Amino acid sequence: MKTVRDIGLLFQRYVTQLLRNPVWVFVGFSTPIVYLALFTPLLKHLAGAGGLPTGNVLDLFLPGILSLLAFASGMWSGFNTIFELKAGVIERLRVTPASRFAILTGPILATMLMMFVFDAVVVAVGAAFGFSVHWPGLAMLALLLGLLMIVMAAFSIATALITQEISGFAAIVNGINLPVLLLAGVLLPISLGPAWMRILAHFNPLFYLVQASRVLAAGTLTGPAVWQALAVLVPLCTLVLVWATSVFRKAVA
Amino acid sequence: MISVDSIIAARDLRKSFRAKGAAVQAVRGVSIDVAQGEVFGFLGPNGAGKTTTLRMLTTLLPIDSGTATVAGFDVASQPGEVRTRIGYVSQLGGADELATGRENLILQGRLHGASRAQVAPRADALARLLDLGGFAGRRVGTYSGGQRRRLDIALGIVHEPALLFLDEPTTGLDPQSRANLWDHIRALRDRGTTVFLTTHYLEEADALCDRLMIIDHGQVVAEGTPRALKQEVAGDAIVISLRRGGDGAGRAAPLLRQEPYVRELTAEDGQVRLYVDDGGTALPQLIRRLDQAGIGIRSISMSEPTLDDVFLRQTGRSLRDASGGDPAGHDAARSGEKEVAR
Repeated sequence: MKTVRDIGLLFQRYVTQLLRNPVWVFVGFSTPIVYLALFTPLLKHLAGAGGLPTGNVLDLFLPGILSLLAFASGMWSGFNTIFELKAGVIERLRVTPASRFAILTGPILATMLMMFVFDAVVVAVGAAFGFSVHWPGLAMLALLLGLLMIVMAAFSIATALITQEISGFAAIVNGINLPVLLLAGVLLPISLGPAWMRILAHFNPLFYLVQASRVLAAGTLTGPAVWQALAVLVPLCTLVLVWATSVFRKAVA
Repeated sequence: MISVDSIIAARDLRKSFRAKGAAVQAVRGVSIDVAQGEVFGFLGPNGAGKTTTLRMLTTLLPIDSGTATVAGFDVASQPGEVRTRIGYVSQLGGADELATGRENLILQGRLHGASRAQVAPRADALARLLDLGGFAGRRVGTYSGGQRRRLDIALGIVHEPALLFLDEPTTGLDPQSRANLWDHIRALRDRGTTVFLTTHYLEEADALCDRLMIIDHGQVVAEGTPRALKQEVAGDAIVISLRRGGDGAGRAAPLLRQEPYVRELTAEDGQVRLYVDDGGTALPQLIRRLDQAGIGIRSISMSEPTLDDVFLRQTGRSLRDASGGDPAGHDAARSGEKEVAR
């Protein structure tokens, strides 16, 4: 009960901070729109070619953007943690009796709320340009997006607590970003790649999300891709949360 | 030997860090007893292990070895109980810049378990107590250094802890803000709060602390009241200039040497320089003695040894040098401390 209350308080705190930081809100809104505006035209003539499904290119591409957004907003969380470490905020919170789990998850949930708002904008803009909206599929997709976002955010925040410095943290995040993005088929399906790539992709949680996102966005609720994504993300999410909470508990040596 | 009214009782605390592949012992067997209601100072140069010790006592850093009981609970096994009973203001403060002072206070109080209704009047009372009244409704990002520091302290006591830890509370403040903050810290003590503060300012330790401990290279080098520590060094130094004619100094020297409270005495050029345990009581007696003997006094000056003299005697170097400079060989310990201060 206390943990839930603490999560609520810290969630509220972080939402307020996000809303009072107009730069964040602006950049957050514009990034997915820029993706849609600059990348979609490139794909116009790809539909139906080279193993790609036919139909509106947005149906293929937009779920990938949503997955990318979940990955990125999670992965970015640690930068704020480094800032708060430097400003003494983390320390101040850690000396209160507030639940360590709440100190970790309050900001994650606030970031997730912001992510869903951006997702809604992307879907709305996409729909205006021909993306076919399947509500039940999107609702299920939201669950998976949330799970991946928590995995990445908890990992990122714990990594920030351990590295403590922006340089070390940025190196790790960048080192992970590129291979994970390339091996996930976010922008183009991984099925276009060679066999070794497809095998490697199976070790990448984002890959499962992207696969499932395409199926779900097309309106299919129960496919193997969906179950696989759940089977990977639910245990992974639990694991990373337990680990990140323990990092907060032992904390920052 | 843990006395009943000790609010902090730490035994043989130790902490090591790894810096550049080598283990650095930041704290090497520190034992501390702080009585309820006192202002206890933890004095030492940068990198001496002050912050590391503080962070162990406040549950922020796991203890390598040794035990610590704070506000009646074991720091290692009952950190939650300790956290509800202590306030901690780090060097960095850590208030939310995008929130107002009042919002910060209310959130902090609620994280300590109070309801909004309980904490709102408390936040307003604290804003008055620490002179935040006029700008409690403004965002913290707009505060001056002194205003921020007062808010940080208000955040540390919003849950009315019996014990408040202050890490270098006045570092970076201008002299006026510093004096102002000292008044606020004294006011806290008068209200019954125990204050444990670290500082590398001698004047601060001298002005504020009932008792203090000097730490260097992770070890305690001296402990006591500021007055007792200074008296340990040499007591007070008194210089008496005598009227010309009749070899006043030559006559005064053997006379004063017989006085039981005079520790050391040198006479030269019509001047007698002597050390006594307590200048306040010695001075009138000295004057009376010389007057009785008919030796004319031209002037008398008395200077107290400073805490710097204490530090100098205990460590062989001046605290100002130790704080300001970068003595070779202590780089590793220094970086270890920085590691923690983050």
